[in-house]
Amino acid sequence: MPKFIIYLVKSIDWVNYYIGRVAMLLLFAMIAVLLWSSFSKAFLSPSLWTLEMAQFLMIGYFVLGGPYAMQMSSDVRMDLFYDSWSVRTKAFVDCFTVLALILYLGVLLYGGIASAQYALKYNETSATAWRPKMAPIKIITCIAIGLMLLQALASLLRNLARLRGVEIKTPAELHGHTGEG
Amino acid sequence: MSYELIAILMFASMMLSLMTGQRVFAAIGSVAVIAALLLWGDGGGNLAYFSLMKAMKWYPLLTLPMFIFMGYILSESKIANDLYRMLHVWMGSLHGGLAIGTIILMVLISAMNGLSVAGMAIGATIALPELLERNYDKRMVTGVIQAGSSLGILVPPSVVLVLYAMIARQPVGELWLAGIGPGLLMATLFILYIVIRCKLQPELGPPLPEEERNVPKAEKYRLLLAGLLPIMIFAIMMIPFVRGWTSLVESSAIGALAALGAAALKGKLTLKVLEASTRKTLGITCMFMWIIVAALCFGAVFDGLGAIKAIEGFFLEDLNLSPWQILLLMQLSYIILGMFLDDTAMLVIVAPLYVPLVGSLGFDLIWYGILYTITCQIAYMTPPFGYNLFLMRAMAPDVVSLKDIYISIIPFVFIMIIALGLVTVFPQIALWLPEQVYGK
Repeated sequence: MPKFIIYLVKSIDWVNYYIGRVAMLLLFAMIAVLLWSSFSKAFLSPSLWTLEMAQFLMIGYFVLGGPYAMQMSSDVRMDLFYDSWSVRTKAFVDCFTVLALILYLGVLLYGGIASAQYALKYNETSATAWRPKMAPIKIITCIAIGLMLLQALASLLRNLARLRGVEIKTPAELHGHTGEG
Repeated sequence: MSYELIAILMFASMMLSLMTGQRVFAAIGSVAVIAALLLWGDGGGNLAYFSLMKAMKWYPLLTLPMFIFMGYILSESKIANDLYRMLHVWMGSLHGGLAIGTIILMVLISAMNGLSVAGMAIGATIALPELLERNYDKRMVTGVIQAGSSLGILVPPSVVLVLYAMIARQPVGELWLAGIGPGLLMATLFILYIVIRCKLQPELGPPLPEEERNVPKAEKYRLLLAGLLPIMIFAIMMIPFVRGWTSLVESSAIGALAALGAAALKGKLTLKVLEASTRKTLGITCMFMWIIVAALCFGAVFDGLGAIKAIEGFFLEDLNLSPWQILLLMQLSYIILGMFLDDTAMLVIVAPLYVPLVGSLGFDLIWYGILYTITCQIAYMTPPFGYNLFLMRAMAPDVVSLKDIYISIIPFVFIMIIALGLVTVFPQIALWLPEQVYGK
């Protein structure tokens, strides 16, 4: 396997790993916003911004955390046949199935860029009392989908390398962050 | 090509794609975007991203990470250990007592989290090794944990019912209360099964030896206090919500805080516990959310094809069935689809197709939500694609083989089907409690 490909895969892995580690903390931001929301409703005047802020945090949470979750192999697969295959067969089949993932993410990104451009051009705001601008969250989702796309690409390269007998471990694997237990 | 044929082709290619071991969300999403592009060209390309935005606007989805986090705090901090000890000490003298205790443990854990993950984790790591060590039959015990933890989606707080509430546009509060009766009914049936089975074959669940039961009275009563923990967390979370002081999502954050507080009070809230819970919450939430986003896109394509009308026409005109026959057929198709399809995806794709028809046939949609959830529970446990099976395989000790896991669920699936039948015939099991509280 060419050196630069291994280097590329590792770079994607590590960037996404650190982004995921930070995104994971957005959970606490969500909790804080929602607690403030309950508190202000009970004792002060209800806040207008909490509901949407929490939604923005949630979407950032799972799109930015997506690549890291992929590294942790949190996604479910139907392992009826998959589980009984050898490592090589798995890698071989994965090379093809990951193409479908790349296609899906590509279309998702395409729609996202169109939507973000629209939001920037017409200064789109949300139709609520708070009226936040929509462009920032759309741009963030586009970046995140782009990172997810890179992670899918890394997965393809990793499987190709595996077929040639080169194992490139993800940071999540190195830290033992895989599986359920 | 007729629209019906396209719909069937989409389902078939999704199934085929799943067979290859493809990530579930990628299988659903890629079939959806290919169909959208072929049907509507460039405009169809936007459907995937619209679905992401739609998921963002589904406000109650915010409860998902909260309830998952609650569950992980409970299982990672091991504050549930005392609960298990309590049941161990109080139930140990009976034949099959520990298995019965495990069911009760699962009900208590279900009241503190919205999925079956935490129940599975606690069951597989705390209860399972203890039960095996005491010579309980491994197949019975494995089944007990899988069936018991599946109550997590029926007993409030329940993530599946939140998803259903969004799709069917029904109040979450009533749905949750409606889940309590059937959940307890099912737990009782499980316990009855264990009691009868252990009466007939006492070797399956031996009582604890004398010396182990000899726990001082004071210790026994101290452990009983442990049972207060879930009740308190449940009350802190549910009371403000049912009284209408906070919204559902706000309550879920209060629940997360309560779980954190409980772990801190017990001195179990270490950095390691916090890190593991946060990380695993991210993993599971991402998995669910990506599946939901992809399934929303798939559903949108179906919607564009007019699949709702097609299904109505198929059931009402082509087959010319009575409402009850249709209901029965729907449940049957759920169970069969649930075997092969991821359960979350099934909920997001299939429920929008069925719910309008169920409503127009004059059935109560709250009651139907409960029937739906029980069906989901069955789907969680039936191979080849069961979420609980998947977790059990990851977490079970080596002595429990895959065959054991598969065989272990058979009696419990039967019991669930009985419970499903009972709730179908006697809707009051589900509807009595919400009617009392909300005074409909």
